[in-house]
Amino acid sequence: MLNLYLFQILNGLGLGMIYFLIAVGLTIIFGLLNFVNFAHGAFFVLGAYICYTVVSLSGSFWLALLLAPLVVAALAWAIERLLIQRIYHLPHTFQILVTLGIALIIQEASVLIWGPVGKSVAVPELLRGVLIIGDFVYPYYRLFLIVFSGLIGLTLWLLLECTRFGALVRAGSESTETVSLLGTNIFRLFSMTFALGVALAGIAGVLFAPLRGAQPFVGPEILGVAFVVVVIGGMGSFSGALVGGLLVGVVQSLMTTIWPQGASLMIYGAMAAVILVRPYGLFGRA
Amino acid sequence: MSEKNPLPFAKTQSRSMLLLVIAVLIGLPLVLPSATLATEILIFALAALACNLLLGYTGLLSFGQGIFFGAGAYCAALLMIHLELGLISALLGAALAGAVLALLVGALAIRRTGIYFVMLTLAFSQMAYFIAYTLSDWTGGDNGLLSVPRPEIRIGDTVLLSLSDARYFYGFVAVLFLLIFIGARRVIASPFGSTLMAIRENETRAAAIGYDTRHFKILVFMLSGAVTGIAGALYAMLLHFVPLSNIDLAMSENILIMTIVGGTGSLFGSLLGAGSIVLLGEFLSDLWPRWLMLLGIILILVVVFMRGGLWGGLSSLFERLKGQRKTAVPTEEKLS
Repeated sequence: MLNLYLFQILNGLGLGMIYFLIAVGLTIIFGLLNFVNFAHGAFFVLGAYICYTVVSLSGSFWLALLLAPLVVAALAWAIERLLIQRIYHLPHTFQILVTLGIALIIQEASVLIWGPVGKSVAVPELLRGVLIIGDFVYPYYRLFLIVFSGLIGLTLWLLLECTRFGALVRAGSESTETVSLLGTNIFRLFSMTFALGVALAGIAGVLFAPLRGAQPFVGPEILGVAFVVVVIGGMGSFSGALVGGLLVGVVQSLMTTIWPQGASLMIYGAMAAVILVRPYGLFGRA
Repeated sequence: MSEKNPLPFAKTQSRSMLLLVIAVLIGLPLVLPSATLATEILIFALAALACNLLLGYTGLLSFGQGIFFGAGAYCAALLMIHLELGLISALLGAALAGAVLALLVGALAIRRTGIYFVMLTLAFSQMAYFIAYTLSDWTGGDNGLLSVPRPEIRIGDTVLLSLSDARYFYGFVAVLFLLIFIGARRVIASPFGSTLMAIRENETRAAAIGYDTRHFKILVFMLSGAVTGIAGALYAMLLHFVPLSNIDLAMSENILIMTIVGGTGSLFGSLLGAGSIVLLGEFLSDLWPRWLMLLGIILILVVVFMRGGLWGGLSSLFERLKGQRKTAVPTEEKLS
């Protein structure tokens, strides 16, 4: 019984790291560009589907893990250049609505290309076995999930904290005007940040694919979960996204054992509880 | 305000608007191939109108309208099936359910403003979906709630009107729509409505003048929830069925898109928006199952090129034809 809970907590950490990747992308985009990307879930789905295509063409999950985020980021970059950049001067409502339109287009395009039924992606051969310690058994892929997303998170943190690009993003989150006045091409920074945030959703989609496959209509669900994470953690906060993501992942996993039908419901319950107690989230600023 | 109207022009304009709505209500079933389609348009026009009260007049972008639509549908259906309540009581129950849920969601979501509010309404919309999915004993889960009746209108034991004929049901919905439309116009013209618009324009300033903006936002949220609940209940009666999709996020998005496409800040715009989207769906969904993609494109085009929506576009076209350019409303300020 104890093993079962340990198993579910580890599962929850893996799931939570995926949620973290999605939410931190959302948060970075919001921090700098000041609008919420409602197409984030759709980009996640696109990442999973591109993973499916690359794996079925080349047989290599690793190639997919490299290519899918790049393709998704390139698409996001183009969309930002062609469309979103035209509406920065409008109120946030309009930016949200445009990204909602993009989400609908991507979702329906995925169905057109890959069909309405989900596609499954095999776990890469290298990670197919299970780890056995005493009487505790755990699949390698799920361990890989925790370690790999941890590494991505660490890289991202280093990128934000230790590079010039990261410094610009952080400075821009405080005041885009000042950064722009100091001679940075703020629009280039916007495009790059949007692409980076979306690439994180793409990576999350690829990592998720061997677990649940690529499903055309999970975009809104993923978006909902990402919102829960940032509401719990506080928007614009890296550590908030991490803690929020892990919390949501573990709650959801544990609930799958205790009350399977209510597992998805409970994460929203957790969100409501956090808002009641701390309206600005666990790490948020007023 | 109505006794001493300083603007006689506004009064005639409002009267002609009312005549326009009545003309549309009479014309719809004559033009369209079926009364059922016309009824569906009015039902979604009600939902869009309720959404417009929030978005167009208070500046609240809500992704939670599906909660109230679905809750109204389930509530009315369950009241009619299990308690065998009549039509009017079921509609009142649905309005109450919508208002109470709006109070609950609003009390939590309105704790936060701006972007958080939007995200919270979306999260609560997902939550409502999962609640409906989990309570499958009551809601039928994935299969939906079947055999929803459409009771006749009666007083005591005397049957006044049976609504089993689609045309009679349309008439009933049309009268209800007209009443709610007039009511909503009254609300907007009242001091309460002016306060809502003050909140839309500048919430901080409205609060500084001394208005408890949270209180006003929760009230308008409840009003919107009640109207949306009625729309959901009517939809359940129309279909004799409540599918789970009535309460999902796509429903919230559809209602929102109808509102935007029709034009925010004009109640008649909601009728236009609901009409065009419902018709588009009706004619395209058989030809092209992925017509939602077109909806996404339309949404983007409206936001980028025609922020006043269909109503804004039509009225500026009308003004241009009349050769006068005074009421070119700067729609960008209408929303923020």
